[in-house]
Amino acid sequence: MTDNILLKNNIAGLEAYFACGGYKPLKKALGMKPAEIIEEVKKSNLRGRGGAGFPTGLKWSLVPPDALGQRYLVCNADEGEPGTFKDRELILKNPHALIEGMTIAACAIGAAHGYIYIRGEFAAETEFLNKAITEARAKGFIGKNILGSGFNFELFTHRGAGAYICGEETALLESLEGFKGQPRLKPPYPALKGLFSSPTVINNVETLAAVPSIIERGGEWYAALGTGKSGGTKLFCVSGPVNKPGVYELPLGTAFKDLLEVNCGGMKPGKVLKAVIPGGSSTPVLTAREASAVKLDYESLAAAGSMLGSGGVIIIDDTQCMVRLLQVLARFYHHESCGQCTPCREGCGWLEKILNRLEEGTASHRDIDLLYSVAEGMTGRTICALADAMALPVMSFVTKFRGEFEAHAAGRVCGK
Amino acid sequence: MPKLTIDGKSVEVPAGRTLLEAAQLLGVYIPRYCYHPKLSISGNCRMCLVEVEKSPKLVTACSTEAAEGMTVLTTSERVIKARREVLEFLLINHPLDCPVCDQAGECGLQDYYMDYSRQKSRFPAADKVQRQKRRAVGPYLMLDNERCILCTRCVRFCAEVTKTSELEVMERADHSFIDLKEGKALDNEYSLNLADLCPVGAFTSRDFRFKTRVWFLKKTPTICLGCATGCEIYAQHNENTLYRLLPRPNAETNTWLCDHGRMTYKTVRAGDRLNKALIRRGLIDLEPALREAATRLDEFKDAAAVLGSPWLSAEDNAALGRLAKDGLKTDHYCFDFSAEQGIKDGILINKDSAPNTAGLKAVKSAYGGLALEDFTTLLAGGKIKTLVTEANAYGLVKAAAAAARVRLIIFALNRGEAPATAHAVLPYASYFETAGTFVNYQGLRRATAAAVEPQPGVWPLWAVVNKLASYSGAELHIDCGEAALEGINFK
Amino acid sequence: MPFKLSDEFKETAGHICARYPRRDAALIPLLHELQKEKGYVAEEAMDELAKFLELPYTRVKAVTTFYTMFNRAPAGKYHIQVCRNISCHMAGAPDLLGHLRTRLSIEEGETTSDGIYTLSSAECLGACGTAPVIQVNEEYFESMTLEKLDALLEDLKRGRLRAGAL
Repeated sequence: MTDNILLKNNIAGLEAYFACGGYKPLKKALGMKPAEIIEEVKKSNLRGRGGAGFPTGLKWSLVPPDALGQRYLVCNADEGEPGTFKDRELILKNPHALIEGMTIAACAIGAAHGYIYIRGEFAAETEFLNKAITEARAKGFIGKNILGSGFNFELFTHRGAGAYICGEETALLESLEGFKGQPRLKPPYPALKGLFSSPTVINNVETLAAVPSIIERGGEWYAALGTGKSGGTKLFCVSGPVNKPGVYELPLGTAFKDLLEVNCGGMKPGKVLKAVIPGGSSTPVLTAREASAVKLDYESLAAAGSMLGSGGVIIIDDTQCMVRLLQVLARFYHHESCGQCTPCREGCGWLEKILNRLEEGTASHRDIDLLYSVAEGMTGRTICALADAMALPVMSFVTKFRGEFEAHAAGRVCGK
Repeated sequence: MPKLTIDGKSVEVPAGRTLLEAAQLLGVYIPRYCYHPKLSISGNCRMCLVEVEKSPKLVTACSTEAAEGMTVLTTSERVIKARREVLEFLLINHPLDCPVCDQAGECGLQDYYMDYSRQKSRFPAADKVQRQKRRAVGPYLMLDNERCILCTRCVRFCAEVTKTSELEVMERADHSFIDLKEGKALDNEYSLNLADLCPVGAFTSRDFRFKTRVWFLKKTPTICLGCATGCEIYAQHNENTLYRLLPRPNAETNTWLCDHGRMTYKTVRAGDRLNKALIRRGLIDLEPALREAATRLDEFKDAAAVLGSPWLSAEDNAALGRLAKDGLKTDHYCFDFSAEQGIKDGILINKDSAPNTAGLKAVKSAYGGLALEDFTTLLAGGKIKTLVTEANAYGLVKAAAAAARVRLIIFALNRGEAPATAHAVLPYASYFETAGTFVNYQGLRRATAAAVEPQPGVWPLWAVVNKLASYSGAELHIDCGEAALEGINFK
Repeated sequence: MPFKLSDEFKETAGHICARYPRRDAALIPLLHELQKEKGYVAEEAMDELAKFLELPYTRVKAVTTFYTMFNRAPAGKYHIQVCRNISCHMAGAPDLLGHLRTRLSIEEGETTSDGIYTLSSAECLGACGTAPVIQVNEEYFESMTLEKLDALLEDLKRGRLRAGAL
């Protein structure tokens, strides 16, 4: 079993973090060329841990090295994907890994300013993070002339105000700039034109927190922890009727079965596994059979028709009604749609209304095909992926649990 | 200059152009709501999705830059399906207002539905999201939030063109709605452009509300005479009634039209529009009025004066010039107007509120005459007994003429613009009723076109002048506008 | 008396604005500050903030109405939000919500007539491992049960909002 890189105990305070070798990677990075830092991260196969899984080293390298003017580093701590709660855990357990990771990333891309965009509901976590930043600044790990290197990096937290869509990187930038969180048209991509129209890198908390260890022990070491293409460890969040729900740091490629049985202690007494949403609610659902055969990494889950996503593993037992659960999700996406573009704004509402009718028992069998058809009409046609995030679960639920939808259409609704 | 293929046809475009612009060069029409050539790109309606080879997803033509070697398909099966489905999404929450909506007949949803969809609704009407209807948001605009498709053209117009930012989209998801500050009116001077811009019946004109169906309207290209900008417009009319003016976008002068300009058609059938003459405030037919006016002019022939007007066409001014020179045989006349010209608000409204100051330079060149200052002094001096001019021009010499108690023969469209002290007020055809040549602040010479016929007894001013002169014993032979313009060189 | 931004606010605002190259980026943090002061964002406050940041009023209003955390009307002393998303739903959130509706005699979105409690449901609060989760003002209460909820209500009745999980 690998030692945890991210979820270590008792290193939330700066003294303890430093005593365990914290901020040494930063010192090493300050002596490296930016291109060298990026190369190391590329070698690690680290991919974005927020949900999109974009190769991190590649993302950093897209910032033009000779671009004039400011560059920005932004941390996406808007953790809003249902089923996901790892960034909160990371901030509370290991805030300095994030701060150090950000400073190293800033070195790599030449950013003198960084913001941690943290969801508004995480008020206590923001305060905690601010204290850690103050500690780090006092010791000269961030701020002006860091560790005498001449490199400046100023870091602030910035609270969101209640909008899931601000987890989308360009919506986050809009929100940071004081606008509604409405995603931007891409291209241009943030690496060229991001925050305040300057080259910007946005990375998830977990992604940035992994950077110090990559610099310390090398990209190849990190890559070897995982599978061939998916490097390193991942924080898996398990929620649902298991004995030990929570956040588990495991190497990518771990079998789902092991996560469930070994780490989470299996299903609660009397609960039978029916379905698993592997990577946050926006990822297609897996049946119990599919889940028990799958490995938790980017490639395997994609091959199984789903996604690793944020690593938010939602366990569903056979006392749950799939139609009801889909209705809960539909209500969520409908509520969170920013409203900018047609298919998402209108489609999310439409899907919720059909599901309401199915739940009430006033829908027809045609409505099931309609559900699928509307979801299809929303896919691949919008400014951002929220519409797809709504549509993919709908299509997967209807496909894999059609019987329950048929029963509802026939009037056999559940008591719940 | 990237070269690309659209629907099998090759086109080369300057760098930075979008697929939509490239398609336009080829004459390929791509449907769109939120895109407007004069506003920033929004890319939110998703109507302009097209297929690009090697791209896994459809892309919005309005925001995708044309690249070398791109192969674009605008009518593939995927595109046709996407258009149909985007339209379906737009229509699910759209109210069934067509029977009572002024936009019918020029509605983006109706038009594209007929072109790209025609499928039955799969959405129960009872489920439609309801919002505020019939909101009078300014002196000229009615807003219906239910009909709105949230294309944000209106928001962008107010932010980018008038820079007044009265509008924004509030809230989110399908609860979003266009709103402005409570208690504030949408009264920037270009508000009616929103009624044009809005592809649907969300923003409609209060002035035009319920007056007629658009498919009955004919459109006559003409010129706005609200100021020296001289915007190109369409006058829309049916059965001899004018209903509204719309901008006629062109590269030189205007894309938009200001609210003041839009309302200029109202003078034509205003309650106090003159179709008879007035002699000392009593209505009288034109013929006897002209005889009376002629008598007055003959009474003190060398004490008569003629003042041109930058509110009149070149033809009408030239006729006045002929009246002075060949009719009255006097040199007491003036065509000297020199108001400062130029856009005063950065958009369209001109510093000079008269439409033909520049045009009068040609008339002055041809006929000469006194400088305005000297003419005014002359009027005040007491030598002049009778003045022939147009109502608005009279305003420029009012003090001098009134002080010297000059007898006035005034051409006016409406009773309200004529001075109460005028001895004779003569009606004439407005420039919606007859052709007239005007030169705008850019030196561009344009002509109005008759959209409706004048009422019986109302004639173009040059014809009235012609008649007036003949009653005074002088035959000017001005039988048509062109005849009036003889000898006038607009260079 | 016409609403005016307090001197305290302006001083804090100065510090916040300094974190960004453009003042208007401070809009959301400043709306949070306004809400901290008064418990909600009033119409007049939006007006004054717009002038302070040299922004059109409509921009401030659009932003305020876009985000769920900004109250447009005063909320109760305790704003109780029950997460209703999938993991909390499976863990019993509907029962918690129903219990609150009964105990407080108000529906979602309403405030008790004494102005003490406002009840709403919320979307995923990011603490799914300890579902079901309730947020009261800025505190999280996790692994909630009906018993723990009753205990929480007792605390609130005594005016005690203890720190949550942290």
